[in-house]
Amino acid sequence: MLTIKRVATLVSINQELEQAAGCGKDCLGSCCMPGAKLPLYTFGRRRSVDLLKKKMAVACSTNDGDNGFLDSLLLAQWEDRMDKGLFRYDVTACETMVLPGEHGFIAQLNEGRHSKKRPTEFRVDQVLQPFDGKKFNFTKVGQEEVLFCFEESEDGTSQYYEKAPVSWSPNVIAINVSPIEYGHVLLIPCVLDCTPQRIDPDTFLLALQMAVEADNPYFRLGYNSLGAFATINHLHFQAYYLAAPFPVERAPTTLICHRWKKGGVKILELGNFPVRGLVFEVGDSLEDLANAVANTCIYLQNANIPFNVLIADRGGRVFVFPQCFAERQARGEVEQEILDTQVNPAVWEISGHIVLKRRLDYESATEESAWRLLAEVSLTQERFDEVKKHCLKSVFNAPNKVKVEMPTMDSSLHLMGMSGVALNGQSEHCLVLQV
Amino acid sequence: MELGEEELTASVKRYYKESLKHSLGQCDFNFVLSDPRLPDNPIVYASEGFCSMSGYEHHEVIGRNCRFLQGPDTDRRTVLEIRDAVREERPCQVHILNYTKHGNPFWNLFYMAPVYSRKDGTVVHFVGVQTPFSAAAAAATAAAAPLASKKLNLMDAEKRKEARSECLQQIQGEAPAGLCVSLEADEEEDNHKCVAKDEDKGRAACAVQTILCNLMENSRIGGGGRGVAETRCKEIAESAVGGVVCSSLMLSLTRIQQSFVLADPKLPDIPIVHASKVFCEITGYSQEEVIGRNCRFLQGPDTDPEAVQKIRESIAGERACTVRILNYRKDKTSFWNHLHLSPVRSATGEVAFYVGVQLAMDIVDSAGDENVGMTPYMKQLGAVGAVKVAVRSLQGSGLRRSFKKNSEE
Repeated sequence: MLTIKRVATLVSINQELEQAAGCGKDCLGSCCMPGAKLPLYTFGRRRSVDLLKKKMAVACSTNDGDNGFLDSLLLAQWEDRMDKGLFRYDVTACETMVLPGEHGFIAQLNEGRHSKKRPTEFRVDQVLQPFDGKKFNFTKVGQEEVLFCFEESEDGTSQYYEKAPVSWSPNVIAINVSPIEYGHVLLIPCVLDCTPQRIDPDTFLLALQMAVEADNPYFRLGYNSLGAFATINHLHFQAYYLAAPFPVERAPTTLICHRWKKGGVKILELGNFPVRGLVFEVGDSLEDLANAVANTCIYLQNANIPFNVLIADRGGRVFVFPQCFAERQARGEVEQEILDTQVNPAVWEISGHIVLKRRLDYESATEESAWRLLAEVSLTQERFDEVKKHCLKSVFNAPNKVKVEMPTMDSSLHLMGMSGVALNGQSEHCLVLQV
Repeated sequence: MELGEEELTASVKRYYKESLKHSLGQCDFNFVLSDPRLPDNPIVYASEGFCSMSGYEHHEVIGRNCRFLQGPDTDRRTVLEIRDAVREERPCQVHILNYTKHGNPFWNLFYMAPVYSRKDGTVVHFVGVQTPFSAAAAAATAAAAPLASKKLNLMDAEKRKEARSECLQQIQGEAPAGLCVSLEADEEEDNHKCVAKDEDKGRAACAVQTILCNLMENSRIGGGGRGVAETRCKEIAESAVGGVVCSSLMLSLTRIQQSFVLADPKLPDIPIVHASKVFCEITGYSQEEVIGRNCRFLQGPDTDPEAVQKIRESIAGERACTVRILNYRKDKTSFWNHLHLSPVRSATGEVAFYVGVQLAMDIVDSAGDENVGMTPYMKQLGAVGAVKVAVRSLQGSGLRRSFKKNSEE
């Protein structure tokens, strides 16, 4: 068993307290939720598709120039909690800068995020772990930390209700009381299901739908698996606003699936970036994107490979990073200098947004030092190539069907001298997977 | 938000003389001018060439953001490059797949450059030049080059063998219909990477230079302006100190559909540096009449001095506050203003502005079902949040990249 010691980030006030069930407070457990009323935002699934297809309309007349509904609501509710003093510190008072260089790594000095608690032990070699009700989980969060519930509407439109009766196990948007940036929230799908931290197609689709609904390229969602610096073993995504591109979004990509028919998911590989990863781009179906990513993550989970996921570009681009920093740390393979910064490289750090706890690290930060840190996170090229092969296989072989941008049949087949192979009685020709 | 024709033509008139239309008309290029200080960076001038290239009529193009040229297969990362160049107020050159009005895709070598005001260094317009090029011809050039370019996906026999067996394995699985990929690049359909020939690039560069020269030669001097330039005369940080809001911050602020002002506490008497359109509608003042003045012009004979004092104390203490204050419009009529004030910090962590979001109470009282939709108070807070996100990354130098000076150059 491999473990490392680190100080867990405090994402909710009640995390510090020892709260048993039947707490007598307004929490999100089965003690307080039935009969409770919380704010509710309903999104239209059809509207999500429209927003997605907006990009495809030839004469796009819809107004892209105003802040959207979900956007305004989330910002309003977050600002309200700021006014009420629910955050441990004012994140906008934290200095931040872009490290000189073409990649544009963003560093932040955040001395308040670091909790003074003593480090606890985290197991790093088991990506799937069963839910433990005795440990802190999101049913113990106070209702005041909830901004609103996030559910699909019946009629395809988006609407907000100040007080609505909660569904049996609602999807909840809660604040992160130790924010990295303005608007830092947690998306907790089906909170009362008490699902452990792991990716599945339905909840991943929900996260994508939130990105599409927010309709803001500067609002991203992120996911950390266990072993890749998830703090709490209760299914959740994180999200926040930053009006700047992440270095990973700028990185060039190489198409893996080459030559396509319209409409399928595109799969690419990241280049010129310290952490190796896959990029999935939406075609005309959000469900297909969700399935493609989820299938990849399910493979990684089952193979016990820790990973992080970034949802960017309004839900149109998803980055998947298998990583091994924690494992290397447990084996004593990471430079002490890097360990001293106490940076836990999770999805935001990997994307290029690095929060530093000590002033001396902030003032001496450079593009090189950021690159060096992130290089320790990445799988080696060899290992990544192996993992990539399995990921791609699982995208197409898994139970959830996915439409990927498919090659057209043409003369190149004859040039290669490959014979067609019939599948399921259809005359499909099989070309070769580029690896 | 619909833009009036007046605003759009004013954008061009303000900086250039009438002669510009004539001299630009002589150019045979496809280009547009857009104004990032208007909501959503709309096109304010489009050449004849642009219209015939895109298939759109002139009136279909003016007032809209250029993104209507994008379509289903336009590369998302390329769009990000353009967005980032607008954000960083710098030139960019990209190869982008665009679409005509009738949905026909074409490859476009798109070059964009900012035009700066000589007076305060802000970006007054972006010039966008479109040079369609033939992908097939470009591919032919690329194929002729001896480089083992990744795009060409040349694989040796060994790898091919390996890959083939891989594929067979997959077939044994449940694969719906093979997954795979062609070994040969067909640049025409590969919208992921497509590069223009050198002569196309040369043409594009020439176009940009000619247009920029024309803009500078025909720029309006006088009336406080000193014309335009292709390079910035003042550093962004310097302009910011003078109370000038840069274009990328302006673009974010114009997305907010609420009445609000930004005031700069570091300047004498804390003047307004930005007022939203809705603010102007509510109060009856124009933006020019308001920028540079302290907010107190909204106060009048019956304004409660205690409310004013509360505002003053909050600013001194760098705190947020909410007050109900009697304000006066330009036409001297009064209204109850539910004002929410908050300090707004920039990337340095220090207070860069105070944002004041106004809510005219007569609107609030006539609200409908309180449970459905966002309340006016909530919308106020939403405006505050949006301002905070924008200012943090876009005020002054904000979170822009800077490039090291390479000693080897």
